[in-house]
Amino acid sequence: MKNPPAPDRQLQSGRVYWRGLEQLSETPEFKEFLEREFPANSDDFSDPVSRRHFVKIMSASLALAGIGLGATGCRRPEDKLMPFGKAPENYIHGTAQYFATAMPTRSGAIPLVAKSYEGRPIKLEGNPLFPGGNGGTDRFAQASILNLYDPDRAMRFAKGAGGERAVATASEATDFLDGQARKFSANQGQGLAILVEQTHSPSRERLRQEITKKLPQAKWYTYDAVDTGIYQRAASQAFGKSVRPIFHYDAADTILSLDCDFLGNEDEAFSSIRKFTSRRKITSPKDKLNRLYSVESLFTVTGMNADHRLRVPASTVLSVTAAIAAELGITVGNLAATANSPVDSKWISECAKDLKASAGKALVVVGVGQPLVAHLLAAAINEKLGAIGKTLALVEAPAVISVGLSELAQSLNRGEVETLAILGGNPVHNAPADLNWAATQRKAKTVVRLGYYEDETGEQADWHFPETHYLESWSDARANDGTLVPIQPLIAPLFGGVTDLEFLSRLAGLTELNPNRIVRTTFASLTGDASEAAWNKFLHDGFAPGSALKTVSASVVSSVVSAAVQRANSVTVGKDNLEVVLYRDAKVDDGRFANNGWLQELPDPVTKITWDNAVLVSRKTARELGVQNNEVVEVSIGDRKVVGPIWTQPGMADFSLGMAIGYGRRKAGRVGVGAGFDAYPLLSTQTGYIATSAKVRRLGHKYPISCTQTHWSMEGRAIVREANLDQFRTHPDFAQRMNAPEAPDESPMYPNPLDDPKRRSKLHQWGMAIDLNTCVGCGACVLACQAENNIPIVGKDLVARGREMQWMRIDRYFSASSKEHTWGQWFNDETYKRDQDQQFNEWIDNVQAVNQPMLCQHCEAAPCENVCPVNATVHDGEGLNVMVYNRCVGTRYCSNNCPYKVRRYNYLDYNKRPLSELKGPFYATALLHSTDDEWDLKRWWRDPESGMRSEQEWDLIRMLKNPDVTVRMRGVMEKCTFCVQRIEAAKIAQKIKAGESGDVVVPDGVIKTACEQACPAGAIVFGNTLDPKSRVSQLKEQQRNYTVLDFLKTKPRITYLAKVRNPNPAMPDYTAPFTFEEFELKNGNPFTHGDSETSSHSGAKINEGAL
Amino acid sequence: MSAIFPKWTNKLPLMIIIGGTLTAGAVTAGVWYYFTPKYFRVGYQPIQPVAFSHATHAGQLGIDCRYCHSAVEKSWFSNIPSSSTCMNCHNQVLKDDPRLALVRESAATGKPIPWVQIHRVPDFVYFNHAVHVNRGISCVECHGRVDQMEEVYHAKPLSMSFCLDCHNNPASKVRPVDKITDLSWTPSEDPNEAAKRQEAFGKKFVHDFRVESMNNCSACHR
Repeated sequence: MKNPPAPDRQLQSGRVYWRGLEQLSETPEFKEFLEREFPANSDDFSDPVSRRHFVKIMSASLALAGIGLGATGCRRPEDKLMPFGKAPENYIHGTAQYFATAMPTRSGAIPLVAKSYEGRPIKLEGNPLFPGGNGGTDRFAQASILNLYDPDRAMRFAKGAGGERAVATASEATDFLDGQARKFSANQGQGLAILVEQTHSPSRERLRQEITKKLPQAKWYTYDAVDTGIYQRAASQAFGKSVRPIFHYDAADTILSLDCDFLGNEDEAFSSIRKFTSRRKITSPKDKLNRLYSVESLFTVTGMNADHRLRVPASTVLSVTAAIAAELGITVGNLAATANSPVDSKWISECAKDLKASAGKALVVVGVGQPLVAHLLAAAINEKLGAIGKTLALVEAPAVISVGLSELAQSLNRGEVETLAILGGNPVHNAPADLNWAATQRKAKTVVRLGYYEDETGEQADWHFPETHYLESWSDARANDGTLVPIQPLIAPLFGGVTDLEFLSRLAGLTELNPNRIVRTTFASLTGDASEAAWNKFLHDGFAPGSALKTVSASVVSSVVSAAVQRANSVTVGKDNLEVVLYRDAKVDDGRFANNGWLQELPDPVTKITWDNAVLVSRKTARELGVQNNEVVEVSIGDRKVVGPIWTQPGMADFSLGMAIGYGRRKAGRVGVGAGFDAYPLLSTQTGYIATSAKVRRLGHKYPISCTQTHWSMEGRAIVREANLDQFRTHPDFAQRMNAPEAPDESPMYPNPLDDPKRRSKLHQWGMAIDLNTCVGCGACVLACQAENNIPIVGKDLVARGREMQWMRIDRYFSASSKEHTWGQWFNDETYKRDQDQQFNEWIDNVQAVNQPMLCQHCEAAPCENVCPVNATVHDGEGLNVMVYNRCVGTRYCSNNCPYKVRRYNYLDYNKRPLSELKGPFYATALLHSTDDEWDLKRWWRDPESGMRSEQEWDLIRMLKNPDVTVRMRGVMEKCTFCVQRIEAAKIAQKIKAGESGDVVVPDGVIKTACEQACPAGAIVFGNTLDPKSRVSQLKEQQRNYTVLDFLKTKPRITYLAKVRNPNPAMPDYTAPFTFEEFELKNGNPFTHGDSETSSHSGAKINEGAL
Repeated sequence: MSAIFPKWTNKLPLMIIIGGTLTAGAVTAGVWYYFTPKYFRVGYQPIQPVAFSHATHAGQLGIDCRYCHSAVEKSWFSNIPSSSTCMNCHNQVLKDDPRLALVRESAATGKPIPWVQIHRVPDFVYFNHAVHVNRGISCVECHGRVDQMEEVYHAKPLSMSFCLDCHNNPASKVRPVDKITDLSWTPSEDPNEAAKRQEAFGKKFVHDFRVESMNNCSACHR
């Protein structure tokens, strides 16, 4: 065997080799030169002659290496490949790993699958294995990954409140906790108060029991600004035992929502949406639909999707509940008297009749903000309707901590609390104002806080412990139905935080401090299986099968309900007695997500406001009060007041002021501070979320609000098409009939590159179908897209300029009945009103709303492609309209020519902007700004990529990015890619599997776009249209299938399935969908026109033949 | 009066224009032609921290590429083996060789060996090893005869046009999947015969295994 030659030592003396030099080095002259000029003896360097010599030689070799150096300059910098010293098992670099975990919520948990790339979690999806799950998630789950990498999260142990705050080491902090543990062990916990948030973690419950055993004198309190515990409290009272209700919307034919936004802001909305929409999926006119009645004051997501909506002030909802109950034969005393309310008694009686008709399949739900008596009444109604055990399951629920913040405040005021431990929560910001919590809290000798942010509560605490993110923690939870789910860490705590389990154990001096072992012990005791295999399966699947809570049968204790009804009294609101409705925000929740830029920039599902909350009023209220949009008012109840801008919300109840809580954070981080106003001062223990006798005072100035959809009406265009169920049954092709009449010139405006069969793939042609009947407009898809595709946020000011970057938006249109209003004239007369004048139009009083997800339609004959001067947007063979970022020079012609307005342009380098710059309108320049105490211009000179963000932030930002998607820079156009990275990954995986075979077609359902995967309703379906059996082909076969802006003949790959409403013909407010009436007014009745006949704009009769 | 400027200066503007145009043209053409990966990257041969010889391991000893680059069939990234992989043999063979000091140290401590990267496509290119080697594209097509290289160098330009040459005509490069790591494989010893056989084989492969020429932007750029 030939031995390998020894490595050529001479070669190692140069840095970079080059074919020319390498050849040169073979010449004897050069070898000699090298040998002479690079003496091995380092002593020579101290010799002056040699040193001079050395310098001379160095310059010579530099000159020689000039070509090489030049080449290095042109070539990319030298990179190192660092393989493992010892490779970990089952890890393949470059492939993602998936782990089951769960995101804890107030009333359960969202089972998740986290995608981890190189050890960093980058995307969360719902767990499809979970019983009944479909992989859908909600907005908060999608956005929570951003919190993990939030540069403003608590990163240190700190001691000393307020100005005395100092950084403590982890060992100092644990020493302190150990000291507390010793102290309280000695006195059985006397003087220890523990304030926790609502949670359904069995491990924490077990710890609580253990701690109570060890420290019987320690007191536990629970507080949450959104009190979802009311459901369990109400059910336990009404049924006389500790039970929790679970609503089976999928089993209900008729649902009455009493101020309950179960599709929007209620907890567990993602699963409610899935259950509710499972009954709205139709394939043929014979299918049945469920029916939703909604009684509410705010316009909510639930109201938008209701078949009948009654707008009444929130404080009147109790009267409506009572009236319905009375119709069903429940004694309600005087409560049902609605003499002064504008409620149509026929509405009530017909609704009650419909509920009764579907007895056993009816369900009544009451909102979280409503008083307990309304919940008790609803329980009685549900029992009357035979809902218990069918649409409403009662599960055995362990008793929860029943004492709250008021009791804790009393205890504090009495000076009984020595150490107050606050786990999570943020009572200084969100406690009811009458508790004066900031001052009350200080009455404890020591306040210890475990918090994710050093927020308002944290800065007032004597000790602050950084809490771990749920993706960094070992914990567990029970999902809404009680199924046990694990919360397992995807990454070690980034900033050395502690989990709540660890914190509690240490505080109480328990022996087991390791959260992993705490959770394992709980798991073993709950399932009775301590084996490694059971635990591993639990972690792998993400749930313990069969661990759901037991359902029990129970009957309503009528004396409890009637006693509560006796105590309650009805309220009438009016101009002099305005009502304030405080509601959980769709984006920042109770304020906990205030520092999450994705959520802040997500348009509210109903108002489409970003970065702010507002005082929502109806048109009539605004007129009575003499206020208009953006006008800042002071709303006061007694001596408590808040200041915020007015926003006219179509469809709001009159004399009701809606305000989202969670904004106006004083100390939230750079994103959250300065967004919106704080509505908590109007929250009190007496009135709860719905308070009356509010006064409004105009302050005479305006406040800018960034709203992404300023135009409310479709003006009769057939963008969203809908019909009632009976219209659909008589004309199943109604959506097609609403197509524009064929233009005389039938040739499309733009060529279709796929007309050339050579360019067309014969394996895959991608398409998407979006079912408007099941889309509720929640917005989870928008955030899923943002997370998947590395989409930056732009900030409030730039949103106002229409520069938001979300690839997907949900268009929400309001429509009004043509019978009630004369608004129809303004589009017939062609006297269009300005957007800001819509708020004064009378038609917005009683509106319906429709939602439509709008994203790149992937037109085959794409208008954008034809105007791009540099071919930066082109078609691929599988029907994708692709953007080539490297070619784009930013002319924005494509965006101008896009009829759907779905292209997004990077006006700035959004990733490089400092977080403090998100509110505008003035932006820092590199000339006057410094980052990390270094002048930005100097920084730029050192590293042009550094931007205005500190090195530490960059580390976090980079961790979040999806490595499969290019991060776009300034001056580049971008848009929906149909998640091309997922398509290619699936195709590659299929080809690898195929190897030497022809089985390269990706099976249906393997590729899910980010929006599709996140959609809790399953409204978005993506797939291969060449496969006639694929779900998307089946949907496109339906007669409801239509194309937006069909008359442009752009041949979009995305089609929509028209919406079908299911109103009750017996109801007084039964009409054709308002959008249909608008369409009819403008284009004539689509049902009376033949297919060839052209419609005319005049002489159309309303509703003719429609019903 | 004698002219200040001699008569030939009348032609000066024209000469400047022509000369300038020619120079600019030459420079442009030069840059166009020479400032390409074909000239700037081919031949790049950095000194590696360990004098590992592919010629010995892959050539003489005939170790399969995938023994070390084990992820190449599963991931977009073809891994550099961990030092412990080296030690599978070298704890027996050349146990105390000074040239392997760094490898032994790395395997013992877990400290990575800083290999210098040679082949690299830009960040906006999403190249995937797995799909190529599983579908009949050999290592040799992009990396050259690594089994003959003492010290690995950049053998092919890996420019976009280099990729497209094959993507436009995959039939010209595909080979039986079991011959992927046989870098010396040809359809036949005789060049003419080889070309003929390659054409026939390529055509059949592309047809039977439904290979599409992936020349859309979205194939590599996302």
